[in-house]
Amino acid sequence: MNSVLLINGLIGGVVFGAIYALIGSSLNVLVGVLRIINFAHGEFILAGGFLTYVLLTYFGINPLVALPFAAVLFFAVGYVLYYLLIPRLAHSDEPETASFLLMFGVSLMIVSVLTWIFEADVRPINFSFDPINVLLYTVENGYGEGRDAKVLVPTARLVALAINALIIVALTWFFYRTLPGKAMRAAIMNREAVQIVGIDIHRLSATAFGLAASLAAVTGVLLTLVVPSIDPNGGADLTLIGFIVIALGGLGHPVGALAAGIIFGLVEQVSNVMLPQAAAQMLGFMILVAVIFFKPSGLFGLERGR
Amino acid sequence: MKVKRGVITGIIGPNGAGKSTALKTMYGFLTPSRGTVNLKGERVNGLTPSQMVARGVSFVPQNRSLFNDLSVEDNLHLGCWHFRRDRARVSRAMDRVYEMFPVLRDKARDLAGTMSGGQQRFLELARSMVLEPEIVLLDEPTAMIAPKLSRELYDFIATLPEHGVTVVLVDQNVRQCAAVSDHIYVLDLGATRAEGSSEDFGDDEDLKAMIQEWLDYEID
Repeated sequence: MNSVLLINGLIGGVVFGAIYALIGSSLNVLVGVLRIINFAHGEFILAGGFLTYVLLTYFGINPLVALPFAAVLFFAVGYVLYYLLIPRLAHSDEPETASFLLMFGVSLMIVSVLTWIFEADVRPINFSFDPINVLLYTVENGYGEGRDAKVLVPTARLVALAINALIIVALTWFFYRTLPGKAMRAAIMNREAVQIVGIDIHRLSATAFGLAASLAAVTGVLLTLVVPSIDPNGGADLTLIGFIVIALGGLGHPVGALAAGIIFGLVEQVSNVMLPQAAAQMLGFMILVAVIFFKPSGLFGLERGR
Repeated sequence: MKVKRGVITGIIGPNGAGKSTALKTMYGFLTPSRGTVNLKGERVNGLTPSQMVARGVSFVPQNRSLFNDLSVEDNLHLGCWHFRRDRARVSRAMDRVYEMFPVLRDKARDLAGTMSGGQQRFLELARSMVLEPEIVLLDEPTAMIAPKLSRELYDFIATLPEHGVTVVLVDQNVRQCAAVSDHIYVLDLGATRAEGSSEDFGDDEDLKAMIQEWLDYEID
């Protein structure tokens, strides 16, 4: 029985871990390139989720079709939002604190809009693939008395994991193989120096904001494939997970975010099925505290150029 | 202050004279509160560094400006940002800069942050050259590097006008700066105190005394 639970926990850990990795990666781009504490990141994810909900529920549009639409739409929203909000922060005496307060305000505004439109109710996602589940593994005599235990995984979760993996591969390719990706990593290392080589820092930052918003929306779409419902008030938890992943993996390191997301997902999901709930919640945060204590720059943290 | 085309213009002065501020203002990092910056007759006040790069101006700041966790080649490639879509030009610029600095070709795959301080300075200079700039602004290029490398760096800077590059050079080392500059501005408290060639200054006893005073102060 325990081995079935463990396998379920591990599968759930990888599925959710990949989503956490995506949240961490997109937040990493924002915090690293723009030096802003985006408290509204979770709400961007929720907005992507609710967009999928509306398209599915009212127009019958498959989430897989909604995904590229959400990606492009939110890239544009993020790009424009950057020019509307962020350059003005430079006039503040404390740009990072101001960014924190500004994005906190944006987060409350998005929650209010979502609550206004969808009310404070949790919205069910009525979508599944055919077949609904995939038989992954059979544990012989898993339930004793000659009864086999079957490890079934919802097809939607496997599809979400596959898309997530593709996005992470594409992101890694972008950051390590393309000049704009390298420019974003360069901005994380030394923001002033990217201006010295003639890069328009506002255009690069707007692109980074657009990319982060786009990834957040895509995460929201994927989330609708792995959870049964979405909640307008769930954004803060998602933002918190993003910051945990950054703290664990290290700022500015895409691979770090991937590893940290998977580690946090595995710990959370395995302990959910193996431990009492209170202990399960504590374990993930214990790992976070331990990493900050012993390696403050994170497991893969970079030293800043300046 | 006027910078003539195809020569080296030196800016010297004590700490706090405004030398680096002058360079940063020329490059668009700072917007002047008074006065104007003109480039070939065009008023360029308020232009951004990327717009100055588009006009053929490059800048090597006093502080390290490399991307330590990117390779030497990636650092140079980012110097080609302005013309990144012109692959032929990027390839030509990279070959040219590797010819100028062969050591960088050998270290192309190394991370910039793993190189010595002197090599990093050469990489910064090389990165400013991939642009094939008309004007190079250099802020304390030899600060905190070994004397031998410092001489090599100055030997290279001295050849730039032969390639049609105009240089504006800020250096605390007055003798070094004067030896390589065709024209010198002496700044003090944000204003030009004197200008001329290094020979011109030989007759100005007041100026010599002032330079001696700040040199002694800095040596102490």
